[in-house]
Amino acid sequence: MGNQAVSLLEGMGYKNIRHYIGGMADWVEEGGPVEKMDLPVADPSPRKFVRAETSKTWSWSRWLDVLANWPLDRLVSFWLGMILAFGFIYWGTGISMGWGLQAGSASVKPDFDGLLTSIYFSFVTALSIGYGDVIPVGPLRVLAIVEGATGLLIFGCLVSKLVSRRQEELTEEIHRTTFEDRLDRVRTNLHLVFSDLGAVLQLQSEQGALPGQIVRRLESTVRVFRGEMQTIHDLLYRTQVLPDEEALESLLANLAICLQSVVDLQSSQVNGQQRSVPLEAGLHAISNLANEICGECVPRTYAPAMKQWMDQIQELARKIA
Amino acid sequence: MTNQVAMITREEILARLDDPSLLLVNVMPKQTFADGHIPRSLNLPLSEVEGKARQFFTDIGREIVIYCGGPT
Repeated sequence: MGNQAVSLLEGMGYKNIRHYIGGMADWVEEGGPVEKMDLPVADPSPRKFVRAETSKTWSWSRWLDVLANWPLDRLVSFWLGMILAFGFIYWGTGISMGWGLQAGSASVKPDFDGLLTSIYFSFVTALSIGYGDVIPVGPLRVLAIVEGATGLLIFGCLVSKLVSRRQEELTEEIHRTTFEDRLDRVRTNLHLVFSDLGAVLQLQSEQGALPGQIVRRLESTVRVFRGEMQTIHDLLYRTQVLPDEEALESLLANLAICLQSVVDLQSSQVNGQQRSVPLEAGLHAISNLANEICGECVPRTYAPAMKQWMDQIQELARKIA
Repeated sequence: MTNQVAMITREEILARLDDPSLLLVNVMPKQTFADGHIPRSLNLPLSEVEGKARQFFTDIGREIVIYCGGPT
């Protein structure tokens, strides 16, 4: 596999390619450091897996799961349908087999009135009200109990669904606001980084070497930049929430501007001037992170405009490195 | 298929793990890459090499190390 890739690339004109034959197997065997990452997968495969496992055995809990996954209106119509169907069964068995319902001491008659009474009984049973003014006779008692139990379960699903729906809306709202706050913070910080870098750049062009205080200021700026860089990197690689495109584009644009400033700063630096260790480390981290941002290397597909920004970021990162 | 592909040893990669001029490229599928890779590697699945290499490696002389799952 590696070989193929190498020859492909060499065919494309790349000159400085080397092949690490051992690959991951050799790397892991010898105890090299390994990095993992969570793919923000779009397909809910883990959940599917669990479901596939439970589907092997037919159980009550699975039946309940199926019910709970039904949408609200389907659940309601199923519930109503079930009650009506049971009502018809009570009525029908009364006509055909003679063991129907009893209201008081008289049997429920096989006419329209009787049908209404049967449906009424069905509702009273399914809601587990059980007034007792109409009672089932003989084998119908078993049916009535089955209906009571089923009705209770479905009704429970219905109620919990209603409650959780509101809850889900609220949680989503909270998620969105915190997320937007976070984006706002990143944007603001990037702006500060940009203006700070600009100020340092100007000082440098005026005075040549930077006095110690300014260097420390630069270090602190780079530290903030690194933090926000990490945030954006995570945003592109890990997040489950997708920012809207406008917000993302402004973030990426700000990021590119900041990186450009860093590149400018580096290129205008006086030769021979030593950069401090923390500064060096910070820039290094920034460059590494930015290097992983390009239209095709992030796990999700974005609009072409975003991709362009990302590619630009990657290019700038390579200039820093 | 004999080829003159230059090799790189594990030790050299290890020594230059923090060297940004060395670009590590994992050609495994995305999921395999996510499950574990050499730190700082980029992921360019083999199937996408032809289409996306230009975008990944803008500099033709850049030092690139290719690796995959094992000695294949």
